[in-house]
Amino acid sequence: MEPKPAAPLKHTSKSQKLAKLRRLVARFEPGVAHGPHIQTGFADIDAYLRQQVVPAGLPCGGLHEVVATRVGDMPAALGFAHRLAVRFLDRPHTQDMLLYGQTHMACREAGQPYGPALPAHGLSADRLVYIDGARLPDLLWAGEEALLCSAIGCIVLSSWDEAPSFTASRRLSLAARAAERPLVMALGAQAGGSASAATTRWQVEALPQQGWHVRLAKLRMSYTATPPPEGWRLYPQSLSQNSAQNILQSQPRGQAASRTARAG
Amino acid sequence: MGHPNPNPNPNPIVPIATGRRLIALWFPYWAGETTKIPHDKTQSFALIDHYKNAQRLVGLTPLAAQMGLSLGLSLADARALLPDLQTAMAEPMEAAARLQKCAYWLQRYTPWVGHNPSSDGQTGLADYGLLLDVSGCAHLFGGERALLADMQARFLNRGITAHAAMAGTVGAAWGLARFGVSAKTDPQARRQIIVPEGQEAEAVLPLPPAALRLSGGHIDLCQRLGLDTIGDLAGFARRELTRRFGPSPVLRLEQALGQAGESLNPCLPPPRFFVRHNLPHGVTQMEALAQLIGDLCARLATQLETSGHGAQRLDLSLTRSDNAVLALSLPLAHPSADGGHMARLFEERLSRLSRGVDAGYGIEHLALAASRTAPISGPQETMGAFEDAPNKTRGKRRAAPIAALGNLYDRLVSRLGAQVVVRPVPHASYIPERAVKLVPVLKADAADKKDPQSLSANLPDPATRPLFMLCAPEPIEVIAEIPEGAPYRFRWRRVLHEVSAAYGPERISPEWWAGLTGETPKHHNRQTRDYYRLEDTQGHRFWIYRDGLYSRETTRPRWFMHGVFP
Repeated sequence: MEPKPAAPLKHTSKSQKLAKLRRLVARFEPGVAHGPHIQTGFADIDAYLRQQVVPAGLPCGGLHEVVATRVGDMPAALGFAHRLAVRFLDRPHTQDMLLYGQTHMACREAGQPYGPALPAHGLSADRLVYIDGARLPDLLWAGEEALLCSAIGCIVLSSWDEAPSFTASRRLSLAARAAERPLVMALGAQAGGSASAATTRWQVEALPQQGWHVRLAKLRMSYTATPPPEGWRLYPQSLSQNSAQNILQSQPRGQAASRTARAG
Repeated sequence: MGHPNPNPNPNPIVPIATGRRLIALWFPYWAGETTKIPHDKTQSFALIDHYKNAQRLVGLTPLAAQMGLSLGLSLADARALLPDLQTAMAEPMEAAARLQKCAYWLQRYTPWVGHNPSSDGQTGLADYGLLLDVSGCAHLFGGERALLADMQARFLNRGITAHAAMAGTVGAAWGLARFGVSAKTDPQARRQIIVPEGQEAEAVLPLPPAALRLSGGHIDLCQRLGLDTIGDLAGFARRELTRRFGPSPVLRLEQALGQAGESLNPCLPPPRFFVRHNLPHGVTQMEALAQLIGDLCARLATQLETSGHGAQRLDLSLTRSDNAVLALSLPLAHPSADGGHMARLFEERLSRLSRGVDAGYGIEHLALAASRTAPISGPQETMGAFEDAPNKTRGKRRAAPIAALGNLYDRLVSRLGAQVVVRPVPHASYIPERAVKLVPVLKADAADKKDPQSLSANLPDPATRPLFMLCAPEPIEVIAEIPEGAPYRFRWRRVLHEVSAAYGPERISPEWWAGLTGETPKHHNRQTRDYYRLEDTQGHRFWIYRDGLYSRETTRPRWFMHGVFP
């Protein structure tokens, strides 16, 4: 007995079915592939995004998560989030503001953004609006409100030990895509790892000699590309302090004891 | 004679400095002196009204008082005394309106002018007086005495007798203005009584009990008991007074002596932009209330827009059927004439009230006023920033960015609080944590203009400053250090860090002039700090400082973590 010709779906392999479903889902997702996008300014990452991802850059409309790998890496994660925010704000002809919000815990643990240092990181202090401690739900609410405001160019929210639920991140992600404005969510090491609807998730770790190790842990823009698992080692220019000299090198450790004795 | 006092000194009166300066003004002949009814000024004149079953005198001129007439005297008795007395019917409403006008005029001395708390306790007749809170105002007029003299000279020019007393409490000033030295004996005298701060007790105790703003019944009782002065009354234990008189005299006594607080409600000119809504039945449901507030906002916005103004501050008051009032006031970041925006802010605010809106048996009256406004140019695009909500962005004109930002600020502030939504504003100081101030966004515009960056010439290199500054420097435990050098190993938040690179030091001296200008520097500002930028073997970067110079300022300097680099 000959087998009856089945529906075409049954013949296709699992991967083909998935691809078809993904195309279907992509039709309902607001335009990630067509909106404005930016280059991160890191050559390796940009090269990867250009080759592998449809908009050839990081889309402005989206929720981007930056997660610290270890507890002590939060400053590095925030630095990377800040770096992305500055690139988002750097679009021509905009004087848009950066809204930076923190939970109470993040305020206490990671510190507040410091105005006099901002110019070194590509932002003038008068373009910063800062939320000095709020509960996470209030902070997420503020993020959604700010996405609707035409004068805010980018939003960075930071939480130390609590991550938004999947529903919340899905909501923010959709709002960000619809508004075509980015929302960067920086999460401490204790908060990361939960399911989220973010467009990208970056795992950041501090490296000696003023570097960052950045791994793209999740990429929701493209269904084919897989980011390199080893990540990238980045040495951003703005952090290097070439003019200054490492004073520890000029003071060999052996002399420490004798100098202490002399001083005593 | 005073009452024989059973306990010699049950409540010693401790002088209490209230920190306030109040003026009580009393116009004993207000109705007679300010009336518009034509009469012969050289003859006695009195205003009469029907009161206590007879035509009685309710307003006099000083001349009539000199002839022996007094308030509350029946017209027949007065005519028997003075057959040629001129009389006219009293106009209490007009007299009160004139007093109100006078209160506005007195705002030239202080913005805080309030009405008298009560009518005359003894006779029940209208009592014309005003209260002024002149705390911190007197020096503008050359001192307290000069202020009072100026005020009384102006009243005299208008032919108005004004008795004034200045004291630290409402009660003392009120009593002294009416019952102070020679108030009854010499009605023509321009008197001014000034009680120095903290000496209310000495001034008030010799006065009769009526000076305490007591009711007629209480005053009668005092007379029957032989309590001639407030001092006699104060000699009793408070508990006994309360048992005999009820709570009111004790409260009044404590208010006069500054032991109990008393607020003064200023009478403010009615707002120019004002809408209200009276309901036949009380509303208890929040949804209906929100709808009504929305209507009020829309009406107010129309008023504002037609006159080209935007509201900077909104005051909403909800009156319940039992006359309790819930008042909300809302500052706005930028002048707005956008009704939808205002309504949304109120909705947000009402939903965030800690106990919610207790509507009781229903809210019957809603009033909304724009108490501070500023002219705005051109009509605003309605709905501001919220128009470019999802799916509407494309092809739609956007609201002007400043208005959009203002609306966002308002929304954030109404939910998160004014102190939380801030902007960094540079401040002229070399101490790193003071080089920037986080100013609430609602005030940041003013602060921007005020501070012209006097340090801009020698600002530190931004790259040497940490991107994130800790809220307060945290002490760290330095394990291996060399004197006058950076540490090799330290412990911060219970984690040991092995230093691999250090840059510095950057020496920041304390601001020696800070102590001279009156502000006392905090303890950790008094010593020189040496700042180092460190990197540990893991790649974490820190900004630490040593508090104090070795051997010159301290022998055991402490180390602090102040910020982190990304």
